[in-house]
Amino acid sequence: MTSARWSWRRMPAGVSVVVVLAALLALVACERAAAPDHSAALGLPPLAVPADNPLTPAKVALGRKLFFDRRLSPNRTMSCAMCHVPEQGFTAHELATSVGIQGRSVRRNAPSVLNVAWQKRLFHDGREITLEDQIWGPLLSANEMGNPSMGYVVERVRGIEDYAGLFEAAFGGEGASAGRIGAAIASYERTLTAGDSRFDRWRYGGERSALTALEQRGFKLFSGKARCVSCHSVGERDALFTDHGFHNTGIGWARTYLTPERTRVELAPGVYAEIDRRTLATFSEPSVRDLGRYEITLDPRDRWAYKTPSLRNVALTAPYMHDGSFATLESVIEFYDRGGIDNPDKSALLAPLGLTGEERAALAAFLRTLTGSAVAALVEEARRTPSGR
Amino acid sequence: MSNPQRIRRRTIAAALAAAFAGAAFADETCNSPYTARLIKGQEDYVHVWTLGVEGVGDGSDKLVTIDANPKSKGYGKVVHSHSVGGRGEAHHMGFTDDRKHLWAGGLDDSKIHIFDVGTDPAKPKFVKTIADLAKQTGFVGPHTFYAMPGRMLIQSLSNAKDHGGKTGMAIYNNKGAFVAKYDMPEGEVGVVKGDGYGYDIAINPRKNVMLTSSFAGWNNYMMDMGKMVKDGEAMKRFGATMAAWDLKAMKPKQIFSVPGSPLEIRWSLNPKDKWAITATALTSKLWLIKPDGKGGWQAKDVATIGDPSKIPLPVDISISADGKGLWVNTFMDGLTRYFDLSNPEAPKETYTKKTGKQVNMVSQSWDGKRVYITSSLLANWDKKGDDNEQFLRAFHWDGKELKPAFEVDFNKEKLGRAHHMKFSAKGGKKT
Repeated sequence: MTSARWSWRRMPAGVSVVVVLAALLALVACERAAAPDHSAALGLPPLAVPADNPLTPAKVALGRKLFFDRRLSPNRTMSCAMCHVPEQGFTAHELATSVGIQGRSVRRNAPSVLNVAWQKRLFHDGREITLEDQIWGPLLSANEMGNPSMGYVVERVRGIEDYAGLFEAAFGGEGASAGRIGAAIASYERTLTAGDSRFDRWRYGGERSALTALEQRGFKLFSGKARCVSCHSVGERDALFTDHGFHNTGIGWARTYLTPERTRVELAPGVYAEIDRRTLATFSEPSVRDLGRYEITLDPRDRWAYKTPSLRNVALTAPYMHDGSFATLESVIEFYDRGGIDNPDKSALLAPLGLTGEERAALAAFLRTLTGSAVAALVEEARRTPSGR
Repeated sequence: MSNPQRIRRRTIAAALAAAFAGAAFADETCNSPYTARLIKGQEDYVHVWTLGVEGVGDGSDKLVTIDANPKSKGYGKVVHSHSVGGRGEAHHMGFTDDRKHLWAGGLDDSKIHIFDVGTDPAKPKFVKTIADLAKQTGFVGPHTFYAMPGRMLIQSLSNAKDHGGKTGMAIYNNKGAFVAKYDMPEGEVGVVKGDGYGYDIAINPRKNVMLTSSFAGWNNYMMDMGKMVKDGEAMKRFGATMAAWDLKAMKPKQIFSVPGSPLEIRWSLNPKDKWAITATALTSKLWLIKPDGKGGWQAKDVATIGDPSKIPLPVDISISADGKGLWVNTFMDGLTRYFDLSNPEAPKETYTKKTGKQVNMVSQSWDGKRVYITSSLLANWDKKGDDNEQFLRAFHWDGKELKPAFEVDFNKEKLGRAHHMKFSAKGGKKT
């Protein structure tokens, strides 16, 4: 698949994609497609859109409808949006790791789909490389949306009255197919642009007062003493806050080898009890191992390595890490300050940092400046038209 | 408010007002006060709403009917079973006010299956399935089915937007048509903030009060319980409130802080009493809801159930017809406990028996002489391996000892997970 490069900043005056899309939007009286907003992309690199799946308002609107439609699971309970909840940063705050159809357990935390168009590899283990293909992972996984086959999903969509004519309108007269379902959902996801944070306006927009002194100190630590930038990259012209790489921090290893004898459980605010391992086993399904990137590459060096997530909008996407094991940004910073968890394959980039309390607070303050300006609008748009309850 | 909405509200209010005139206190002790044809004698059948299990029998949710009359040839046997297709997390049921139909809900697929149990209770006849709850209301997980005059009030547990605990109630008419919806209270009502969660409903018509309790959303009740207790985020998402509503207006008047997820609510069936009781699942307490002396209500922690540090997980409760006793099942330790409620301010546990490796629902006959227990809590919360007993166990209760009467092994019979029970009698002759 070839890609056309779109640049929000470099388009000739008067020919910007926004203008083109705005013209297209005017033709669609009842559906306002979520065209990427020029200002919302400040600080993001040019968006790559596959040449064979150009963004159009009709396709974006159709993709949005599919994304929120619970009828895309056999028992009509699960949609993409049940784990990527708009009001929860397009992830899920209320679960460390996801729960799929009929309550089946998913091993990992739902990543946010904000700015997902800029991800080079998808899923925590990086097993997919295009949004068009990625959507079929959750649609077909037995423990996520649980559809038995692509054909089943296509037939289901073709049979739903309120999709009549929508695929034809979006795809030049062609009806629903596996490829076109993927293309539509990918198109919607590409519009979830959430740059133009206060950090972006400070670093790339020339607004020197956009960050407080504490937040600026946090960025200095981020790119200096705390060494966060080693993996969460920040460029001169833009920043994705990820190196697109895979790293072993020790969390996955610890989950495999360090099973606690007792589990502390919060029964109500401030009320705790402990459950011993034997009792816990009486009502627990067998645990399923998670070896991270190794499951894809079979390279022992990739054991318990997971993709570096972008830190954009990180204030909105708790809980953190691939297993949602940290509830707050402060606890993540403390983890890295300790140097992660030692294990044979731990990333060489991790070592104790020796941060002071003030430095940790500055880092947390900086991370909270990375929230994009368009998130509220994306949430509002997502809920404007109920889909497939 | 639009005209249709106004007319609908007025119609509901009129129906509620009409209900006050003839409301009698409840059925086999735990049903709506509006339910007619009380069975005070021997029940003929126990209907068990049963969760399908993949690989067990037909794997489908089903309504299982068991002969419960000792004088019958089929006593203690399954006499009928109707599968509804699929596994939708079968959970609770409720009679319509005329007791002719039984509404049975699925917490996962949000379908509501209606059975005719009035024509021939030995063979409940499937009538129809309501499948528009989420479309009409945005709520999912229909839990409590509470009869109103000509209508059914349904308490949901979750919502279709995020599968969290914010939810509400819906009213359908007895034909299955949607009438109205009510969100559970959020924000401050009085001095306590509502959490928007829901679980059970209990109405006292004479006091014009409806009590509601709070549990958790789809994410939690559908999740493997072992996974959930290790998930700190999930454990923060349990209800911690009860609400007292103005019944006629269907508006919340007070919110009570009741931490640890208050579940079933039972008003005392003694007409002289003015209190209700509930149990908190996670914190293992009994809470009393009583007048506050200022024209309102208050919630008060009055007893501990077992050792809360061991999380016995009190689940279903069943109050005696005279309001003097309460059965409490604790799921984790498989114990059925009897609390003396002579002084509802200080309930005392006076009898305890291990009735299974896991126990959830408990229902007693009106005369209190028979007690029925089933095993399943939720498909993914039930115990695993040998501890996953699935049964209906019937006992005789003489005030001192629970003595086994009969048992149906739902695993052996390849039926599934035994959950909620309702009683019926032939032709209503014993009412």
